[in-house]
Amino acid sequence: MPYSNAIAENDGVHARQIAFFAAFVLPVYKLMETPSLLARYAQGDLLWPALAHFLLQTGVLLLLLYAASRSDKPLLLKMEETLGKWSTLVYIAYALFFLFYAVLPLLDLEKFVYAAFYDTSPTLFSFAFFFILCGFVCTKGLKCVGRLADLSLFLFLLPFLLLLLMSLVEADASNLLPIFQRPLSDSAKAFTYTTPHFSDTVLLLPLIGNLRYKKGDGKKISLGYALGATLVLLFLGVFYAVYSTLAAREHYAFAKLAQYFPALSVVGRIDLLLVYILCIVLFFLVCTPLSYGVHCLARTTGTSRKTLLSVAVALVAFLFVLFCNKYYDGVYALISGKLFVLFYLFADLIPLLLLLPALTGKKAKRKEKRNA
Amino acid sequence: MNTTNTAAFEAALDKNLQTLKKLLPSEDILTYSFATADKIACALVYADGVVNKELLARLVAAPLSAAALKRLLPQKDGGRDATNAKKRETDQTEKVVEKAQLFPEFKTAETLQDGVNEILDGNTLLLVDGIATGFIAGAKLLPVRAIMEPPTDVAVKGPREGFIEDIKTNMALVRKRLKSPNLRFETLRVGKQSYTAVTLCYLAGTSVESVKEEIKKKIESIRIDNLPDSSYIAAFLAPRKHSLFRTVGTTEKPDIFTAKIAEGRVGILVDGSPIALTAPYITTEDLQTSEDYFISPFTATVFRFLRLVSLFVAILLPAFYVSAQLFKMQLLPLGLMLTIASSVRELPLSPSMEMFVVLLLLEILKEASIRMPKYVGMSLSVVGALVLGETAVSAGFLSTPAIIIVAFSGICLYTVPNFVETGSLLRWLFLLVGGGLGPFGIVLLAAFTLCYLITADSFGTPPLAPFSPLLKSDLRDAVVKYDLQSLSSRPSFLRPKNKTRLVVGADKTKKGENR
Repeated sequence: MPYSNAIAENDGVHARQIAFFAAFVLPVYKLMETPSLLARYAQGDLLWPALAHFLLQTGVLLLLLYAASRSDKPLLLKMEETLGKWSTLVYIAYALFFLFYAVLPLLDLEKFVYAAFYDTSPTLFSFAFFFILCGFVCTKGLKCVGRLADLSLFLFLLPFLLLLLMSLVEADASNLLPIFQRPLSDSAKAFTYTTPHFSDTVLLLPLIGNLRYKKGDGKKISLGYALGATLVLLFLGVFYAVYSTLAAREHYAFAKLAQYFPALSVVGRIDLLLVYILCIVLFFLVCTPLSYGVHCLARTTGTSRKTLLSVAVALVAFLFVLFCNKYYDGVYALISGKLFVLFYLFADLIPLLLLLPALTGKKAKRKEKRNA
Repeated sequence: MNTTNTAAFEAALDKNLQTLKKLLPSEDILTYSFATADKIACALVYADGVVNKELLARLVAAPLSAAALKRLLPQKDGGRDATNAKKRETDQTEKVVEKAQLFPEFKTAETLQDGVNEILDGNTLLLVDGIATGFIAGAKLLPVRAIMEPPTDVAVKGPREGFIEDIKTNMALVRKRLKSPNLRFETLRVGKQSYTAVTLCYLAGTSVESVKEEIKKKIESIRIDNLPDSSYIAAFLAPRKHSLFRTVGTTEKPDIFTAKIAEGRVGILVDGSPIALTAPYITTEDLQTSEDYFISPFTATVFRFLRLVSLFVAILLPAFYVSAQLFKMQLLPLGLMLTIASSVRELPLSPSMEMFVVLLLLEILKEASIRMPKYVGMSLSVVGALVLGETAVSAGFLSTPAIIIVAFSGICLYTVPNFVETGSLLRWLFLLVGGGLGPFGIVLLAAFTLCYLITADSFGTPPLAPFSPLLKSDLRDAVVKYDLQSLSSRPSFLRPKNKTRLVVGADKTKKGENR
């Protein structure tokens, strides 16, 4: 099936949806383990590594949007045309990368589910049901991701703001001062170890790649990403302001942010209801790389029926979690400490290399016109 | 219809009557024979009990009996000029029809099959000896009930009329409210045996042609013996056969129906059903009532939020109660937890089983109260409330909190009456996952439901619009209700051809253009 047909049928996304995805879906994963991880290495300086990540990602994102604005076709279509049959290799590489990308979020989510949803210790099979959702999301294509992004405006913003509001009672902004209290090497370490958490452009890549760019789209998307980054930085600041030096030990930050709100002793942990609403967005986010993986595999095989691929991918992901959950620390150290380069490679470097023709596309056209 | 005769009428009346007798041998098909003033035999064929005999006698039989038709009938020209003879015959036929103009609803039937269909539909077939055409007098007089307020859609403020089972009356109720030349009715016939009239109703120039055509195509493709209700049509229109969620809207009130048509939707009226359908459908329609548009927008917004909250409480409360007890006690405040602990201490059932039993009781009581005769309703209330509720608690079978939660959930569900069936099933599902997997299961199922809904489609419109996909202008009448002046454009998710429905401060001419 020609790619343009696929875009029309099931993969068409709007710039608004990409902006919402950047603003309200991408931040959720960073509210889970990232704050404690940043606090472990950078302590009160946890905002700076995060800001550095955001600046780097924003730079790549702007280049991607610039390429999209100069291309008369969706970027992935352009890439397919430029590379011809070699594009299959790119899709295979990205399919594998997306499956690899999903590893840490899946393992994090599993631990988070056991911590936030249960007082008791549930069996691993409780989490297995999550893969039904994964499989379902995977079958639905990018259009589904776009619509989930629309919905996340309501599912993310209200609970997030309420949680922040509830936590402000206990927050002490002086905990963040003085700035640059830790050596730069600590911030660099925090930066390195949180690379998998901040590789946002790779999750935006398939969406931007399918976008039929119109004037103003770049502005919307970059503003969306800036809003998402601001919300994360705000959260990190408030989190450290509440927990200070204890922050490094407070895993699953957003589930704990508002737990000391005074009224909760009277009405129960209603903050958990807000956390659960945020979890819906988190579930969707964790499904997204798997969905992208299925999308890439579908492009490789040229099939429009994704059911079998989705089931296979969900099953592989489940088996991986089943066997690796005992080796969480080892897997975490391997990915964050050694394989983090892959994130830069696939999120930043390869897309920019592949988009070089798109960056020069219009110029070539103009030259042709001039010659004519 | 069980006959498929495409033969044309013959000129000889006897032969026509014989053929009709063969096609319609039932004893309720009657023939009334009479002759014109110049002794030309005529016959009225009709189904007994469904025609207005008095009208037929006064407006058809009496004028024809007094008329001399002979000179109007085709003259025999020995077959020399067949074309002229045919033309003359047609002209003569029309003149005969003119003679019968006393009856307002009069048309011709080309084939015997048409005639049979019309008789079965309650109309009367007039046959005249020497004319190879049948005439249809729309003298239908079906027993219908009076127009009254529908019990499922009660409004404190606003119109109280409701649809009834007769499609003609329902069409009249719609026409009464939409006096626009753009209002169109298109009637299709569905049901091999029932031959039920299904009428599409839309505003030309406003509703989307492709939606109408898709609905029409789907209805035309229905092959079924009998069509007792519009819900059958709804089932055939659904793109997902096994979906829990509706894909078409339903209403029993003409004011709501016309409002939806005026927005650009396509309406479907089914003969024999007081429930009209509208498509495309979005889930927020269930949160809206006609009253919302007759009261202050602030009050309407509060009511809509109440309905939304009630809906979530109805579906999720029993599940959360069970999962909190079994998996996450922190969800309950300490005081409440102690109260619950003391009341469930000696219960023989687990929390999920207890909730399951109470919910089952509620569903049984609900079903029984709908089905059982009204005069035993009081006994049911006594048995339900006192014997099952009070005694079960005092006997230690069930706990008071569980009964309170299920009762509250049951009441909450009825704030959104159109969602009762789906909501009730969802409540069971959530209870099941809440009892099995705890809050994680509830959140997972909620995510799954949302994902299912955003990928569903009702004639090109996702049911979760205007939230997903986000349509900013349509949010003005979703949960938050803006004032009437702000709702100047038709909902964009319907993709109407004419987007403007209200011009604030426009003079009458401009308003007229809006038609």
